Amino acid sequence: MRRVTPDTIAVVDLAVCDRCGLCLPLCPPEAIHLELNVLTVDRAACTGCEKCVGPCPVGALAMVAYA
Amino acid sequence: MPDVDVLVVGAGPAGSVAAWYAKEAAPNLDVVLLERDRAVGSPVRCAEGVGDAGLREFANPDGADWAARKITKVIFLAPDDTEVIVAERGVGWILDRTRFDAHLAAEAAAAGAEVLVGAEATGMSRNGDGRWHVRVKERGQDAVYCARVVIGADGVETMVGRWAGLDTRVPSRDMESCAQYVLQGIECDPDAIYLQFSEAIAPGGYAWIFPKAVGIANVGLGLVALKTDGRNARQYLDAWVDRRFPTAARTGYTVGGVIVHTTIKKTYADGVMVAGDAAHMINPLSGGGITNAMKAGRLAGNIAAAAICAGDTSERRLSAYHRAWMELLGEDHLKYYRIKHALESVDDDFFNKLARTVNKIPQHKRSIGRIFTHALIRHPQLIPVAARFFV
Repeated sequence: MRRVTPDTIAVVDLAVCDRCGLCLPLCPPEAIHLELNVLTVDRAACTGCEKCVGPCPVGALAMVAYA
Repeated sequence: MPDVDVLVVGAGPAGSVAAWYAKEAAPNLDVVLLERDRAVGSPVRCAEGVGDAGLREFANPDGADWAARKITKVIFLAPDDTEVIVAERGVGWILDRTRFDAHLAAEAAAAGAEVLVGAEATGMSRNGDGRWHVRVKERGQDAVYCARVVIGADGVETMVGRWAGLDTRVPSRDMESCAQYVLQGIECDPDAIYLQFSEAIAPGGYAWIFPKAVGIANVGLGLVALKTDGRNARQYLDAWVDRRFPTAARTGYTVGGVIVHTTIKKTYADGVMVAGDAAHMINPLSGGGITNAMKAGRLAGNIAAAAICAGDTSERRLSAYHRAWMELLGEDHLKYYRIKHALESVDDDFFNKLARTVNKIPQHKRSIGRIFTHALIRHPQLIPVAARFFV
């Protein structure tokens, strides 16, 4: 599947993230991982769709410029 | 490399019951139950309410230390705070999930399953010998478990399903974002759960008060992010609690996702079954998932044991699990899902009017069915909505 580099990608603020895992099944390319109590967003896989941002119960995910 | 018959990932209600029933059905099988966290039942990401009848299929709550409070009433709050009391017999219980989950894991252990805490599955692949190799991190050590059947009971994250190639993704509209406080020093009926449906308070979901003792309750809400004004679940909850319980002590909080979808299209693969939240087996109308998870765990455990004893853990054989689940509850969830979406067409004003109408029915005659009938008679504009409930 061809992937166009997005303008923005999701990043997580680990100081705010509660590790609830809600965002994992929302991510269409399955770019979010939760392992050993750390949530990570795979920069290479994130398509910038923002589907994870609004539903985060504590607002730990945000979009930043892809650079 | 540890070689096991059944490897269960996740020691919540689905996983513990799956391990328990698999071992009970075939005592000579090796059954291992993995829990990522350091303690089964912690952290709690749950409002802890459960219906009486479903619970009793698995555990007796009378006098149990894991049962925090017996509930005999449901109080619906209209958006304008009008209360509608619905008394039913033996409504349910508020659990202490920390103790309840440990109780179920202990049942699995008593049946002979091995329970491992602090053991996180990090991936799995199908081996040439037809078994799954599951990578596990346990206290900093890497291990690979070789399993004939893997039961994925790993909750909302549902990684086992993903590793097995199942589609476990959730559309945004079907994910409820939840936040909850434990509040102390509040005034509410300790024998009742309160449910408030309001677009202003919890758009697309509802707010709840579930008492755990006199003056102590889980107070939370779930909402659909697409319907909000941009605030997150915790901010909505703060606004509601500030207004309703301004003097209460907030002694705990939790957040999490509740998948208000229908069962995933395929809950099985070669040597894999997925159960509970991981398979989206939540009642999409109520958001309740504990008894569903236990019932699915029982099916998965029994079917895993029978499949291994028969020497056939193929996808074809395990498809019996999916069929049994759909017949037991999955088909009902499809109906509840339609009801949920039909209810989206009614607004706060309607709920306020309905509450006042229903309060004219004597309390001893109120039931969910009567309220519904009343709603149709007094508010004929609901009939098209009602019609959609049953199609």
